[in-house]
Amino acid sequence: MSRFRKFIVGILGLIVGLILSILIVKMQGKSPLEVYKALFGYSLGSLLSIISTLNAATPLILTGLSAAMAWDAGAINLGQPGQFLIGAITAALLGIYLPFPVWISIPLILIGAAAAGALWSGLAAFFRQKYNMDEFVSTLMLNFIAEYFTTYLVTYPFLDPKAYVASTTAIRKAFTLATPDQFNKGIYLAVLVAIFTWWIVKRWGIGYEWHMIGLNQRFAAVGGCKTERDYSLAMLYSGALSGLAGGILILGGTQHRFMKGIGGNFGWDGVMLAMIANNDVIMTVIFAFFFGALKAGGIGMEFDTSVPSEFILVIEAIIVISVVATRATIDLYGGKLKALVKTRRVVKNS
Amino acid sequence: MRGIYKIYPPEVLALENVDWSLKKGEVHSIVGENGAGKSTLMKILSGLIKPSSGKIFIKDCHVIFSAPYQAMKMGIGMVHQEFMLIPSFKVYENVILGSEKDLSKFGGLLDKRKAKSIIKSLSEAYGFEIDINAAASDISVAAQQKVEILKQMFRKVEIVIMDEPTAVLTPQEIEELFGRLRKLKEMGKTIVFISHKLDEVLEISDRITVMRKGKKVDTILNKDITKNVLANMMVGRDVIFRVNKPFKTPGKAVLEVDNITVNSIKRKTLGPVRFNVYEGEILGLAGIEGNGQFELVEALIGAMALSSGKISVKGIDVTNIAIRDRRKYIGFVSEDRKYTGLALKGSIKENLIMTHHIKNEMHNLPFTINWNKGEIFAQRLIKDFSIVCRSISEQCISLSGGNQQKVVVAREFTLNTPFLLLDQPARGLDVGTIEFIHKKILDMREHGIAILLISADLDELFNLSDRLMVMREGKITGILDPSETTKEDLGAYMLGVKENV
Ligand SMILES: Nc1ncnc2c1ncn2[C@@H]1O[C@H](COP(=O)(O)OP(=O)(O)OP(=O)(O)O)[C@@H](O)[C@H]1O
Ligand SMILES: [Mg+2]
Repeated sequence: MSRFRKFIVGILGLIVGLILSILIVKMQGKSPLEVYKALFGYSLGSLLSIISTLNAATPLILTGLSAAMAWDAGAINLGQPGQFLIGAITAALLGIYLPFPVWISIPLILIGAAAAGALWSGLAAFFRQKYNMDEFVSTLMLNFIAEYFTTYLVTYPFLDPKAYVASTTAIRKAFTLATPDQFNKGIYLAVLVAIFTWWIVKRWGIGYEWHMIGLNQRFAAVGGCKTERDYSLAMLYSGALSGLAGGILILGGTQHRFMKGIGGNFGWDGVMLAMIANNDVIMTVIFAFFFGALKAGGIGMEFDTSVPSEFILVIEAIIVISVVATRATIDLYGGKLKALVKTRRVVKNS
Repeated sequence: MRGIYKIYPPEVLALENVDWSLKKGEVHSIVGENGAGKSTLMKILSGLIKPSSGKIFIKDCHVIFSAPYQAMKMGIGMVHQEFMLIPSFKVYENVILGSEKDLSKFGGLLDKRKAKSIIKSLSEAYGFEIDINAAASDISVAAQQKVEILKQMFRKVEIVIMDEPTAVLTPQEIEELFGRLRKLKEMGKTIVFISHKLDEVLEISDRITVMRKGKKVDTILNKDITKNVLANMMVGRDVIFRVNKPFKTPGKAVLEVDNITVNSIKRKTLGPVRFNVYEGEILGLAGIEGNGQFELVEALIGAMALSSGKISVKGIDVTNIAIRDRRKYIGFVSEDRKYTGLALKGSIKENLIMTHHIKNEMHNLPFTINWNKGEIFAQRLIKDFSIVCRSISEQCISLSGGNQQKVVVAREFTLNTPFLLLDQPARGLDVGTIEFIHKKILDMREHGIAILLISADLDELFNLSDRLMVMREGKITGILDPSETTKEDLGAYMLGVKENV
């Protein structure tokens, strides 16, 4: 499929999804018009809303890419939530204790977060290489471990006694990446990383090998691809992207600290994004912005209407399903339709 | 079948206005180039796919099939090119699959004993020697094919369609199959036989239909026609079966295989095996499938570790180096083009560039790929090897079998390796494509490349090889000169009746 067609099909799926959600809102006895007005207003309606959309999109870009690039390489990394948390806690702790000046500390913190995420996915890669354990299972399990481990850290050793929920103390003020009006400058980095990722995937030798391994591992191996090295690197890079997402959220988010439950659904949203985008880097980024808008709008919607912001999760799920289903439907019936038209022409001509 | 059209979504015209008929009790062959539409026509007859236009009549009765079981009810069954058995199921379970309802007892439980006894007597009646309790994954390809035929008999079909049944069989097994087909014919069944091997077609058929590019060329009686006539009808020009091979004195040893052995748990072991392939020489390896060829190929390519011995190419010891480094010296055409030779879902470009992507010519920076060069390279290969496709971005899965194989051959023959390992390079291809590929193989020989040719097709071996080598039970049992050996002789070596090493 050409990129243009992919895009159009994506948009069509979105429209179907939005229509379906209107129906659901309606069934709940709420006014869809009001809900959508709030959604739009709080995601794109003002500078402030645009900022919150971009802020929500920032981690999504990275977790989305994390899933997309790994899956394309045939590494079924489902550990984005765990890698995200491990990256975030690393950034938070470094942010509290690093004694160096700002210009060296911020890069160190971000690198540390990425490395921690890579370590977490690297564990799964190690299990697979050593014990032939499917990363599909092990990354999922590591999500739980990451969740309980970080919760433990912020509940006991690093608990800020003054905080009213389990959390670390705040990072040093100087390390924050947020502007006074709460804009997370980390998005610049996220976009840069996205471009870099695109470059690797589309232009590097390893990107080619990843794609071929994802398509047919045996073919790639016989063709001389370094399948084991490539697999490990795919897992590590994927984990680093999720870890970095966590790091950027700590440095540039509103909390400046690691709180229990931070980052909510960013990991799983990344998984959804990759699914909708069919593992395509550019589509993942585009959809990340869209989901960012939904998230930002959802919080506003809760203020204005009595629809809970959790409803956004429902809309997201509906959109995922409708985009994927629309894609499949259009592929199937589009092809059939073309065949029918051609049959008419050919049969008539003879 | 009248006025049959088939257009695969989105726009592949596979059949165009085909009229075709089948008479009761005949063996009717269909021949044609890869992608001519043979399988498509038969899939329509067996109800697996629906025609885009056109009608099917059985005994002057218009029928419409929307699923295979409906065709089955009218007595039509098909044994597909790719078998459709469930590996973990036992033979008899595979046979009854889909019709187990007729065998139920107590209103739902499967009457296994009854099933087994029916199948047992069926298999005896048709002279199939087969263990109906074995798992489908454990039996040989030929036995799997018997199961497929048994499946049709169990369903009491009158018309058996066999799509390239001989492509996977050894010469001996083919003879057995023909015996079975003749028996079926005697019992009044009608048989449709699709094959690329014209000798077989001429041997077994009553009538022959020739197809070309989705159209029926003609249906003829199998009387006073020759292979050449048939081939000409198929491809629209004369085909040369006997390639003329200029004499060449072989040069220095390129591949040296020094007493290698492979021990694996599940399969038969290989070795010890020792042979050389020389510059500008084609060494043909004959042998019944499963006698160590698989292990030899895996060992040469580096996918399976040696237990002992040494392999070197041009004096360089490659025994312990990774596949990636080996590929500098070894070009490899796999017998299994769908799972080893190609990434079917990848584009033609991506498939052509494999292994070449390691070379410096394809790089800008050491770690990037120069896709501009890649595209120029792919275009050149498509031209040089006359690969028929719409664009270099087309997926390989949508190419015909012959063109898929040309992609593999084009890629491997342009790697500039001193040694080529060709494992069944012409399997499943039409006569025109085989002629083309054989010409390319001889070109490589002219260029002084050392070639090891593994083939189940004796004609191919005799046509191309400078020397013949026979492998049996993992060992080399004969080295023969093709100009002084008969096919029967070679067969005796393959069966282990004779040995000379
Ligand atoms: N499922 C499919 N979707 C799209 N095109 C198809 C499909 N199956 C076959 N084709 C195309 O239809 C044409 C006829 O294919 P078919 O398999 O009938 O050829 P064939 O004569 O059996 O060839 P072969 O000798 O290689 O088995 C080819 O061009 C092929 O690429
Ligand atoms: Mg076919």
